[in-house]
Amino acid sequence: MNASSDMSFFSLIAGASLPVQLVMLILIITSLFSWWYIFIKVATIKRAERDAEDFEDTFWSGGDLNKLYDVITANRRKPQGMASIFEAGFKEYARHKQQTRMDVSDVMEGSRRAMRAAFNREMDELDAHLPFLASVGSVSPYIGLFGTVWGIMNAFRGLSNVAQATLTQVAPGIAEALVATAIGLFAAIPAVIAYNRFASSVDRLSVRYESFMEEFTNILQRKS
Amino acid sequence: MLRQRENPDSFKAGVLSITVHTILLGALLVSFNWKTTHPVSIAEVELWDSLPAVNMPKPPLPTVEPEPVVKDVPKPEPKPEKVVEAKPQIKPEPKPEPEIAIKQEVPKKPVKKDPPKEPPKKTQQDDQLAKLQKQLMLDALEKPNKPPVDDALKKLQQESLSDGKPLGEQKASAAKAGVVDEFKAKIQAKIRNNVNKSLCGDANLELKFDIALLPTGELGSSPKLTKSSGNPACDEAVERAIRVSEPLPLPEDKALFSQFRALKLTFRPNDH
Repeated sequence: MNASSDMSFFSLIAGASLPVQLVMLILIITSLFSWWYIFIKVATIKRAERDAEDFEDTFWSGGDLNKLYDVITANRRKPQGMASIFEAGFKEYARHKQQTRMDVSDVMEGSRRAMRAAFNREMDELDAHLPFLASVGSVSPYIGLFGTVWGIMNAFRGLSNVAQATLTQVAPGIAEALVATAIGLFAAIPAVIAYNRFASSVDRLSVRYESFMEEFTNILQRKS
Repeated sequence: MLRQRENPDSFKAGVLSITVHTILLGALLVSFNWKTTHPVSIAEVELWDSLPAVNMPKPPLPTVEPEPVVKDVPKPEPKPEKVVEAKPQIKPEPKPEPEIAIKQEVPKKPVKKDPPKEPPKKTQQDDQLAKLQKQLMLDALEKPNKPPVDDALKKLQQESLSDGKPLGEQKASAAKAGVVDEFKAKIQAKIRNNVNKSLCGDANLELKFDIALLPTGELGSSPKLTKSSGNPACDEAVERAIRVSEPLPLPEDKALFSQFRALKLTFRPNDH
Protein backbone atom coordinates (compact mmCIF):
# COMPACT_ATOMS: atom_id res chain seq x y z
CA MET A 1 0.00 0.00 0.00
CA ASN A 2 3.01 2.31 0.25
CA ALA A 3 2.83 4.90 -2.45
CA SER A 4 6.53 5.13 -3.22
CA SER A 5 7.10 1.49 -4.12
CA ASP A 6 10.37 0.85 -5.87
CA MET A 7 9.48 -0.56 -9.29
CA SER A 8 12.98 -0.84 -10.71
CA PHE A 9 13.75 -3.54 -13.24
CA PHE A 10 15.93 -5.53 -10.88
CA SER A 11 13.49 -5.41 -7.99
CA LEU A 12 10.79 -6.64 -10.37
CA ILE A 13 12.91 -9.64 -11.26
CA ALA A 14 14.05 -10.25 -7.69
CA GLY A 15 10.51 -9.96 -6.36
CA ALA A 16 9.07 -12.56 -8.71
CA SER A 17 8.29 -16.04 -7.51
CA LEU A 18 10.71 -18.93 -8.16
CA PRO A 19 8.99 -20.46 -11.22
CA VAL A 20 8.77 -17.05 -12.84
CA GLN A 21 12.43 -16.45 -12.11
CA LEU A 22 13.29 -19.83 -13.62
CA VAL A 23 11.30 -18.97 -16.71
CA MET A 24 13.13 -15.66 -16.98
CA LEU A 25 16.49 -17.40 -16.60
CA ILE A 26 15.65 -19.95 -19.30
CA LEU A 27 14.48 -17.20 -21.61
CA ILE A 28 17.57 -15.07 -21.06
CA ILE A 29 19.85 -18.03 -21.79
CA THR A 30 17.80 -18.87 -24.88
CA SER A 31 17.98 -15.31 -26.03
CA LEU A 32 21.76 -15.22 -25.56
CA PHE A 33 22.18 -18.43 -27.53
CA SER A 34 19.83 -17.42 -30.30
CA TRP A 35 21.68 -14.15 -30.73
CA TRP A 36 24.97 -16.02 -30.69
CA TYR A 37 23.75 -18.33 -33.45
CA ILE A 38 22.34 -15.42 -35.36
CA PHE A 39 25.71 -13.73 -35.49
CA ILE A 40 27.46 -17.00 -36.35
CA LYS A 41 24.96 -17.65 -39.13
CA VAL A 42 25.32 -14.14 -40.49
CA ALA A 43 29.07 -14.65 -40.74
CA THR A 44 28.97 -18.19 -42.22
CA ILE A 45 26.28 -17.43 -44.80
CA LYS A 46 28.03 -14.28 -45.85
CA ARG A 47 31.27 -16.24 -46.22
CA ALA A 48 29.53 -19.01 -48.21
CA GLU A 49 28.02 -16.45 -50.59
CA ARG A 50 31.39 -14.78 -51.07
CA ASP A 51 33.07 -18.15 -51.67
CA ALA A 52 30.45 -19.14 -54.24
CA GLU A 53 30.96 -15.82 -56.00
CA ASP A 54 34.73 -16.24 -56.07
CA PHE A 55 34.58 -19.85 -57.22
CA GLU A 56 32.12 -19.09 -60.01
CA ASP A 57 34.42 -16.33 -61.20
CA THR A 58 37.46 -18.58 -61.36
CA PHE A 59 35.52 -21.55 -62.78
CA TRP A 60 33.94 -19.62 -65.64
CA SER A 61 37.12 -17.71 -66.42
CA GLY A 62 37.98 -20.63 -68.72
CA GLY A 63 41.09 -22.11 -67.07
CA ASP A 64 42.14 -25.69 -67.12
CA LEU A 65 39.97 -27.85 -64.85
CA ASN A 66 42.98 -29.99 -63.78
CA LYS A 67 44.85 -26.88 -62.68
CA LEU A 68 41.79 -25.62 -60.79
CA TYR A 69 41.47 -28.98 -59.06
CA ASP A 70 45.16 -28.88 -58.10
CA VAL A 71 44.80 -25.37 -56.66
CA ILE A 72 41.76 -26.39 -54.61
CA THR A 73 43.25 -29.58 -53.20
CA ALA A 74 46.61 -27.91 -52.57
CA ASN A 75 44.87 -25.48 -50.20
CA ARG A 76 45.47 -26.38 -46.59
CA ARG A 77 41.86 -25.61 -45.80
CA LYS A 78 39.25 -28.18 -46.64
CA PRO A 79 37.29 -26.91 -49.67
CA GLN A 80 33.90 -25.42 -48.84
CA GLY A 81 30.72 -24.76 -50.74
CA MET A 82 30.91 -24.95 -54.54
CA ALA A 83 34.60 -25.78 -54.37
CA SER A 84 33.92 -28.92 -52.37
CA ILE A 85 31.22 -29.98 -54.84
CA PHE A 86 33.62 -29.42 -57.71
CA GLU A 87 36.37 -31.30 -55.90
CA ALA A 88 34.16 -34.32 -55.15
CA GLY A 89 32.78 -34.48 -58.70
CA PHE A 90 36.12 -34.02 -60.42
CA LYS A 91 37.89 -36.53 -58.15
CA GLU A 92 35.29 -39.18 -58.93
CA TYR A 93 35.47 -38.35 -62.64
CA ALA A 94 39.28 -38.62 -62.68
CA ARG A 95 39.20 -41.92 -60.85
CA HIS A 96 36.73 -43.39 -63.31
CA LYS A 97 38.73 -41.97 -66.17
CA GLN A 98 41.78 -43.95 -65.06
CA GLN A 99 39.79 -47.16 -65.37
CA THR A 100 39.28 -46.86 -69.13
CA ARG A 101 36.94 -49.77 -69.52
CA MET A 102 34.06 -47.94 -67.84
CA ASP A 103 31.08 -46.64 -69.74
CA VAL A 104 30.63 -42.86 -70.10
CA SER A 105 27.21 -42.91 -68.51
CA ASP A 106 28.56 -44.82 -65.52
CA VAL A 107 31.35 -42.28 -65.10
CA MET A 108 28.86 -39.41 -65.24
CA GLU A 109 26.55 -41.18 -62.82
CA GLY A 110 29.37 -41.76 -60.35
CA SER A 111 30.62 -38.20 -60.40
CA ARG A 112 27.06 -36.94 -60.10
CA ARG A 113 26.50 -39.08 -57.01
CA ALA A 114 29.72 -37.79 -55.51
CA MET A 115 28.65 -34.21 -56.17
CA ARG A 116 25.20 -34.89 -54.71
CA ALA A 117 26.81 -36.19 -51.52
CA ALA A 118 29.05 -33.13 -51.26
CA PHE A 119 26.05 -30.90 -51.91
CA ASN A 120 24.12 -32.57 -49.09
CA ARG A 121 27.00 -32.06 -46.70
CA GLU A 122 27.18 -28.41 -47.68
CA MET A 123 23.46 -27.96 -47.20
CA ASP A 124 23.72 -29.56 -43.79
CA GLU A 125 26.37 -27.04 -42.82
CA LEU A 126 24.28 -24.17 -44.09
CA ASP A 127 21.13 -25.36 -42.36
CA ALA A 128 22.84 -25.76 -39.00
CA HIS A 129 21.14 -23.94 -36.09
CA LEU A 130 18.19 -22.87 -38.21
CA PRO A 131 15.89 -25.36 -36.41
CA PHE A 132 17.04 -23.91 -33.10
CA LEU A 133 16.15 -20.40 -34.23
CA ALA A 134 12.78 -21.64 -35.45
CA SER A 135 12.05 -23.28 -32.10
CA VAL A 136 13.07 -20.19 -30.16
CA GLY A 137 10.91 -18.04 -32.39
CA SER A 138 7.83 -20.16 -31.91
CA VAL A 139 8.21 -21.43 -28.35
CA SER A 140 9.78 -18.66 -26.29
CA PRO A 141 6.63 -16.47 -26.35
CA TYR A 142 4.78 -19.41 -24.83
CA ILE A 143 7.43 -19.88 -22.18
CA GLY A 144 7.18 -16.19 -21.35
CA LEU A 145 3.41 -16.42 -21.31
CA PHE A 146 3.63 -19.34 -18.93
CA GLY A 147 5.75 -17.28 -16.56
CA THR A 148 3.29 -14.40 -16.81
CA VAL A 149 0.29 -16.59 -16.13
CA TRP A 150 2.03 -18.11 -13.15
CA GLY A 151 2.93 -14.71 -11.76
CA ILE A 152 -0.58 -13.33 -12.27
CA MET A 153 -2.05 -16.41 -10.62
CA ASN A 154 0.10 -15.69 -7.59
CA ALA A 155 -0.84 -12.03 -7.61
CA PHE A 156 -4.54 -12.81 -7.62
CA ARG A 157 -4.20 -15.53 -5.04
CA GLY A 158 -2.72 -12.95 -2.68
CA LEU A 159 -5.78 -10.81 -3.37
CA SER A 160 -8.19 -13.41 -2.06
CA ASN A 161 -7.33 -12.70 1.58
CA VAL A 162 -8.23 -9.04 1.31
CA ALA A 163 -11.77 -7.79 1.83
CA GLN A 164 -11.49 -4.81 -0.49
CA ALA A 165 -9.45 -5.40 -3.60
CA THR A 166 -7.39 -2.49 -4.83
CA LEU A 167 -5.19 -2.20 -7.86
CA THR A 168 -2.13 -1.49 -5.74
CA GLN A 169 -2.27 -4.99 -4.35
CA VAL A 170 -2.09 -6.72 -7.73
CA ALA A 171 -0.19 -4.21 -9.82
CA PRO A 172 3.35 -5.11 -8.65
CA GLY A 173 2.71 -8.81 -9.13
CA ILE A 174 1.37 -8.29 -12.63
CA ALA A 175 4.28 -6.02 -13.52
CA GLU A 176 6.69 -8.69 -12.33
CA ALA A 177 4.88 -11.34 -14.28
CA LEU A 178 4.79 -9.30 -17.46
CA VAL A 179 8.58 -9.04 -17.46
CA ALA A 180 8.64 -12.74 -18.37
CA THR A 181 6.52 -12.12 -21.46
CA ALA A 182 8.71 -9.19 -22.41
CA ILE A 183 11.85 -11.30 -22.26
CA GLY A 184 10.14 -14.09 -24.21
CA LEU A 185 9.15 -11.69 -26.96
CA PHE A 186 12.59 -10.18 -26.99
CA ALA A 187 14.03 -13.63 -27.60
CA ALA A 188 11.42 -14.64 -30.15
CA ILE A 189 11.23 -11.64 -32.48
CA PRO A 190 14.88 -11.58 -33.62
CA ALA A 191 14.91 -15.37 -33.86
CA VAL A 192 11.92 -15.39 -36.21
CA ILE A 193 13.30 -12.58 -38.35
CA ALA A 194 16.71 -14.24 -38.53
CA TYR A 195 15.21 -17.64 -39.30
CA ASN A 196 13.24 -16.33 -42.23
CA ARG A 197 16.18 -14.40 -43.59
CA PHE A 198 18.62 -17.28 -43.24
CA ALA A 199 16.17 -19.79 -44.72
CA SER A 200 15.80 -17.67 -47.84
CA SER A 201 19.57 -17.18 -48.10
CA VAL A 202 20.18 -20.91 -47.77
CA ASP A 203 17.53 -21.60 -50.41
CA ARG A 204 19.20 -19.26 -52.82
CA LEU A 205 22.60 -20.83 -52.16
CA SER A 206 21.23 -24.33 -52.70
CA VAL A 207 19.71 -23.28 -56.02
CA ARG A 208 23.08 -21.88 -56.99
CA TYR A 209 24.88 -25.09 -56.01
CA GLU A 210 22.39 -27.26 -57.87
CA SER A 211 22.62 -25.29 -61.08
CA PHE A 212 26.41 -25.44 -60.81
CA MET A 213 26.18 -29.19 -60.42
CA GLU A 214 24.12 -29.50 -63.61
CA GLU A 215 26.44 -27.26 -65.58
CA PHE A 216 29.54 -29.04 -64.32
CA THR A 217 28.04 -32.42 -65.23
CA ASN A 218 27.51 -31.14 -68.75
CA ILE A 219 31.11 -29.99 -68.99
CA LEU A 220 32.42 -33.36 -67.75
CA GLN A 221 30.19 -35.19 -70.19
CA ARG A 222 31.56 -33.12 -73.06
CA LYS A 223 35.12 -33.88 -71.94
CA SER A 224 34.67 -37.60 -71.67
CA MET B 1 26.84 -27.77 -30.94
CA LEU B 2 29.06 -25.83 -33.24
CA ARG B 3 30.27 -26.87 -36.65
CA GLN B 4 33.96 -26.98 -37.31
CA ARG B 5 33.84 -24.20 -39.86
CA GLU B 6 31.94 -21.96 -37.47
CA ASN B 7 34.67 -21.93 -34.86
CA PRO B 8 36.49 -18.86 -36.17
CA ASP B 9 33.26 -16.80 -35.85
CA SER B 10 32.02 -18.18 -32.56
CA PHE B 11 33.93 -15.88 -30.23
CA LYS B 12 33.06 -12.74 -32.17
CA ALA B 13 29.42 -13.79 -32.34
CA GLY B 14 29.30 -14.47 -28.60
CA VAL B 15 30.71 -11.04 -27.82
CA LEU B 16 28.20 -9.42 -30.18
CA SER B 17 25.33 -11.33 -28.62
CA ILE B 18 26.26 -10.22 -25.12
CA THR B 19 26.66 -6.67 -26.39
CA VAL B 20 23.16 -6.71 -27.85
CA HIS B 21 21.73 -7.81 -24.52
CA THR B 22 23.60 -5.25 -22.48
CA ILE B 23 22.52 -2.52 -24.91
CA LEU B 24 18.90 -3.55 -24.54
CA LEU B 25 19.16 -3.70 -20.77
CA GLY B 26 20.74 -0.25 -20.73
CA ALA B 27 17.99 1.12 -22.99
CA LEU B 28 15.36 -0.33 -20.69
CA LEU B 29 16.90 1.18 -17.59
CA VAL B 30 17.35 4.59 -19.19
CA SER B 31 14.12 4.94 -21.13
CA PHE B 32 11.71 3.66 -18.50
CA ASN B 33 10.70 5.74 -15.52
CA TRP B 34 10.88 2.98 -12.99
CA LYS B 35 10.24 5.15 -9.94
CA THR B 36 6.67 6.02 -9.17
CA THR B 37 6.27 9.78 -8.78
CA HIS B 38 3.94 10.28 -5.85
CA PRO B 39 6.10 12.74 -3.89
CA VAL B 40 5.69 15.35 -6.66
CA SER B 41 1.99 15.84 -5.96
CA ILE B 42 2.74 16.49 -2.30
CA ALA B 43 5.18 19.21 -3.32
CA GLU B 44 2.36 20.85 -5.34
CA VAL B 45 0.34 21.25 -2.21
CA GLU B 46 3.12 23.28 -0.67
CA LEU B 47 3.04 25.59 -3.67
CA TRP B 48 -0.66 26.25 -3.14
CA ASP B 49 -0.01 27.06 0.46
CA SER B 50 1.71 30.38 -0.15
CA LEU B 51 -0.81 32.00 -2.50
CA PRO B 52 -4.03 32.42 -0.52
CA ALA B 53 -2.14 33.21 2.65
CA VAL B 54 -1.41 36.71 1.26
CA ASN B 55 -5.03 37.35 0.32
CA MET B 56 -6.45 36.19 3.59
CA PRO B 57 -4.68 37.85 6.47
CA LYS B 58 -7.77 38.82 8.48
CA PRO B 59 -10.48 36.24 8.08
CA PRO B 60 -8.55 33.33 9.50
CA LEU B 61 -8.22 35.11 12.84
CA PRO B 62 -11.91 35.31 13.69
CA THR B 63 -12.66 31.94 12.23
CA VAL B 64 -9.75 30.10 13.71
CA GLU B 65 -10.75 31.16 17.21
CA PRO B 66 -14.23 29.79 17.23
CA GLU B 67 -14.21 26.04 17.45
CA PRO B 68 -17.31 24.47 15.98
CA VAL B 69 -19.05 24.81 19.33
CA VAL B 70 -18.15 28.46 19.70
CA LYS B 71 -19.30 29.17 16.18
CA ASP B 72 -22.76 28.09 17.13
CA VAL B 73 -22.93 30.86 19.69
CA PRO B 74 -22.43 33.78 17.28
CA LYS B 75 -25.04 32.30 15.04
CA PRO B 76 -27.98 33.55 17.09
CA GLU B 77 -26.57 37.07 16.92
CA PRO B 78 -27.17 37.55 13.23
CA LYS B 79 -30.65 36.21 13.61
CA PRO B 80 -32.01 39.11 15.68
CA GLU B 81 -30.41 41.48 13.20
CA LYS B 82 -32.21 39.76 10.44
CA VAL B 83 -35.41 40.18 12.38
CA VAL B 84 -34.72 43.88 12.74
CA GLU B 85 -34.14 44.05 9.06
CA ALA B 86 -37.23 42.12 8.37
CA LYS B 87 -39.43 44.57 10.25
CA PRO B 88 -38.65 47.54 8.02
CA GLN B 89 -39.23 45.30 5.08
CA ILE B 90 -42.66 44.53 6.36
CA LYS B 91 -43.39 48.20 6.89
CA PRO B 92 -43.23 49.15 3.23
CA GLU B 93 -45.88 46.60 2.49
CA PRO B 94 -48.67 48.46 4.17
CA LYS B 95 -47.65 51.60 2.30
CA PRO B 96 -49.00 50.47 -1.03
CA GLU B 97 -52.42 50.31 0.57
CA PRO B 98 -52.40 53.99 1.43
CA GLU B 99 -51.27 54.66 -2.09
CA ILE B 100 -54.27 52.88 -3.41
CA ALA B 101 -56.40 54.77 -0.94
CA ILE B 102 -55.08 58.06 -2.23
CA LYS B 103 -55.69 57.01 -5.75
CA GLN B 104 -59.21 56.08 -4.83
CA GLU B 105 -59.68 59.42 -3.22
CA VAL B 106 -58.42 61.23 -6.25
CA PRO B 107 -61.08 59.88 -8.58
CA LYS B 108 -63.64 60.81 -5.97
CA LYS B 109 -62.65 64.44 -6.07
CA PRO B 110 -63.69 64.91 -9.69
CA VAL B 111 -67.04 63.47 -8.71
CA LYS B 112 -67.32 66.17 -6.07
CA LYS B 113 -66.25 68.75 -8.58
CA ASP B 114 -68.95 67.83 -11.01
CA PRO B 115 -71.66 69.63 -9.17
CA PRO B 116 -69.63 72.89 -8.93
CA LYS B 117 -68.94 72.63 -12.63
CA GLU B 118 -72.61 73.06 -13.36
CA PRO B 119 -72.57 76.71 -12.42
CA PRO B 120 -70.33 77.99 -15.20
CA LYS B 121 -69.63 81.25 -13.40
CA LYS B 122 -66.50 80.31 -11.65
CA THR B 123 -64.79 78.68 -14.60
CA GLN B 124 -61.45 80.29 -13.90
CA GLN B 125 -61.57 79.23 -10.29
CA ASP B 126 -62.59 75.81 -11.49
CA ASP B 127 -59.68 75.70 -13.87
CA GLN B 128 -57.37 76.72 -11.09
CA LEU B 129 -58.95 74.16 -8.86
CA ALA B 130 -58.60 71.57 -11.57
CA LYS B 131 -54.95 72.48 -12.01
CA LEU B 132 -54.41 72.27 -8.30
CA GLN B 133 -56.18 68.99 -8.20
CA LYS B 134 -54.13 67.68 -11.09
CA GLN B 135 -50.98 68.80 -9.34
CA LEU B 136 -52.23 67.16 -6.20
CA MET B 137 -52.99 64.01 -8.15
CA LEU B 138 -49.59 64.06 -9.78
CA ASP B 139 -47.97 64.72 -6.44
CA ALA B 140 -50.02 62.03 -4.88
CA LEU B 141 -49.02 59.64 -7.66
CA GLU B 142 -45.38 60.65 -7.48
CA LYS B 143 -45.01 60.83 -3.77
CA PRO B 144 -45.81 57.22 -3.02
CA ASN B 145 -42.84 56.30 -5.19
CA LYS B 146 -40.56 58.08 -2.77
CA PRO B 147 -42.36 57.92 0.49
CA PRO B 148 -40.66 59.72 3.33
CA VAL B 149 -41.09 56.65 5.40
CA ASP B 150 -38.92 54.81 2.95
CA ASP B 151 -36.19 57.40 3.27
CA ALA B 152 -36.37 57.06 6.95
CA LEU B 153 -36.09 53.35 6.61
CA LYS B 154 -33.13 53.68 4.36
CA LYS B 155 -31.53 56.02 6.82
CA LEU B 156 -32.23 53.55 9.54
CA GLN B 157 -30.73 50.80 7.52
CA GLN B 158 -27.73 52.90 6.65
CA GLU B 159 -27.37 53.87 10.25
CA SER B 160 -27.64 50.31 11.34
CA LEU B 161 -25.09 49.40 8.73
CA SER B 162 -22.72 52.23 9.60
CA ASP B 163 -23.23 51.79 13.32
CA GLY B 164 -22.86 48.09 13.12
CA LYS B 165 -19.75 47.86 11.02
CA PRO B 166 -18.06 45.71 13.60
CA LEU B 167 -21.33 43.89 13.83
CA GLY B 168 -21.34 43.52 10.07
CA GLU B 169 -17.90 42.02 10.10
CA GLN B 170 -18.91 39.67 12.80
CA LYS B 171 -21.93 38.82 10.79
CA ALA B 172 -19.79 38.18 7.72
CA SER B 173 -17.38 36.01 9.62
CA ALA B 174 -20.29 34.24 11.23
CA ALA B 175 -21.81 33.68 7.81
CA LYS B 176 -18.48 32.40 6.58
CA ALA B 177 -18.28 30.14 9.57
CA GLY B 178 -21.76 28.97 8.70
CA VAL B 179 -20.73 28.23 5.15
CA VAL B 180 -17.59 26.49 6.38
CA ASP B 181 -19.66 24.39 8.76
CA GLU B 182 -22.17 23.64 6.07
CA PHE B 183 -19.52 22.42 3.68
CA LYS B 184 -17.77 20.49 6.41
CA ALA B 185 -21.05 18.77 7.04
CA LYS B 186 -21.44 18.17 3.32
CA ILE B 187 -17.96 16.66 3.10
CA GLN B 188 -18.66 14.46 6.06
CA ALA B 189 -22.00 13.39 4.64
CA LYS B 190 -20.46 12.56 1.29
CA ILE B 191 -17.71 10.50 2.91
CA ARG B 192 -20.16 8.86 5.26
CA ASN B 193 -22.23 7.71 2.29
CA ASN B 194 -19.20 5.90 0.91
CA VAL B 195 -18.22 4.15 4.12
CA ASN B 196 -18.77 0.43 4.07
CA LYS B 197 -20.52 0.29 7.43
CA SER B 198 -20.52 -3.47 7.60
CA LEU B 199 -16.77 -3.33 8.24
CA CYS B 200 -17.22 -1.21 11.33
CA GLY B 201 -19.44 -3.59 13.25
CA ASP B 202 -22.16 -2.44 15.59
CA ALA B 203 -19.97 -0.79 18.19
CA ASN B 204 -20.17 2.94 18.55
CA LEU B 205 -16.79 3.80 17.10
CA GLU B 206 -15.21 7.19 16.63
CA LEU B 207 -12.21 8.01 14.48
CA LYS B 208 -10.51 11.19 13.42
CA PHE B 209 -8.82 11.97 10.15
CA ASP B 210 -6.59 14.82 9.04
CA ILE B 211 -7.30 15.60 5.43
CA ALA B 212 -5.32 17.90 3.16
CA LEU B 213 -7.39 19.29 0.30
CA LEU B 214 -6.53 20.93 -2.99
CA PRO B 215 -8.65 23.83 -4.31
CA THR B 216 -10.20 21.40 -6.77
CA GLY B 217 -11.63 19.34 -3.95
CA GLU B 218 -9.16 16.56 -4.45
CA LEU B 219 -6.96 15.16 -1.75
CA GLY B 220 -3.54 16.76 -1.52
CA SER B 221 -2.06 13.80 0.27
CA SER B 222 -3.26 10.59 1.78
CA PRO B 223 -5.59 11.12 4.74
CA LYS B 224 -3.90 10.76 8.11
CA LEU B 225 -5.53 8.81 10.84
CA THR B 226 -5.15 10.80 14.04
CA LYS B 227 -7.44 8.80 16.24
CA SER B 228 -8.08 5.17 15.46
CA SER B 229 -11.38 3.51 16.23
CA GLY B 230 -9.53 0.45 17.41
CA ASN B 231 -10.88 -1.51 14.49
CA PRO B 232 -8.32 -1.45 11.64
CA ALA B 233 -10.85 -2.67 9.11
CA CYS B 234 -13.11 0.22 10.02
CA ASP B 235 -10.23 2.70 9.82
CA GLU B 236 -9.39 1.41 6.38
CA ALA B 237 -13.00 1.52 5.28
CA VAL B 238 -13.25 5.18 6.25
CA GLU B 239 -9.94 5.98 4.57
CA ARG B 240 -11.12 4.32 1.39
CA ALA B 241 -14.38 6.21 1.63
CA ILE B 242 -12.42 9.46 1.84
CA ARG B 243 -10.46 8.52 -1.26
CA VAL B 244 -13.59 7.48 -3.12
CA SER B 245 -15.38 10.71 -2.22
CA GLU B 246 -13.02 12.80 -4.33
CA PRO B 247 -13.72 15.52 -5.37
CA LEU B 248 -15.09 16.73 -2.08
CA PRO B 249 -17.61 19.58 -2.12
CA LEU B 250 -16.04 23.00 -1.55
CA PRO B 251 -17.65 26.45 -1.37
CA GLU B 252 -17.57 28.65 -4.45
CA ASP B 253 -15.82 31.35 -2.50
CA LYS B 254 -12.14 30.75 -3.02
CA ALA B 255 -11.32 32.90 -0.03
CA LEU B 256 -12.86 30.31 2.22
CA PHE B 257 -10.64 27.60 0.89
CA SER B 258 -8.00 28.27 3.50
CA GLN B 259 -10.44 26.77 6.00
CA PHE B 260 -10.45 23.54 4.07
CA ARG B 261 -6.79 23.15 3.29
CA ALA B 262 -6.25 21.10 6.42
CA LEU B 263 -9.42 19.54 7.71
CA LYS B 264 -9.86 17.60 10.90
CA LEU B 265 -12.84 15.38 10.49
CA THR B 266 -14.47 13.14 13.07
CA PHE B 267 -16.42 10.13 11.96
CA ARG B 268 -18.90 8.00 13.83
CA PRO B 269 -19.79 5.40 11.21
CA ASN B 270 -22.66 3.95 13.20
CA ASP B 271 -24.08 7.25 14.40
CA HIS B 272 -26.97 8.42 12.28
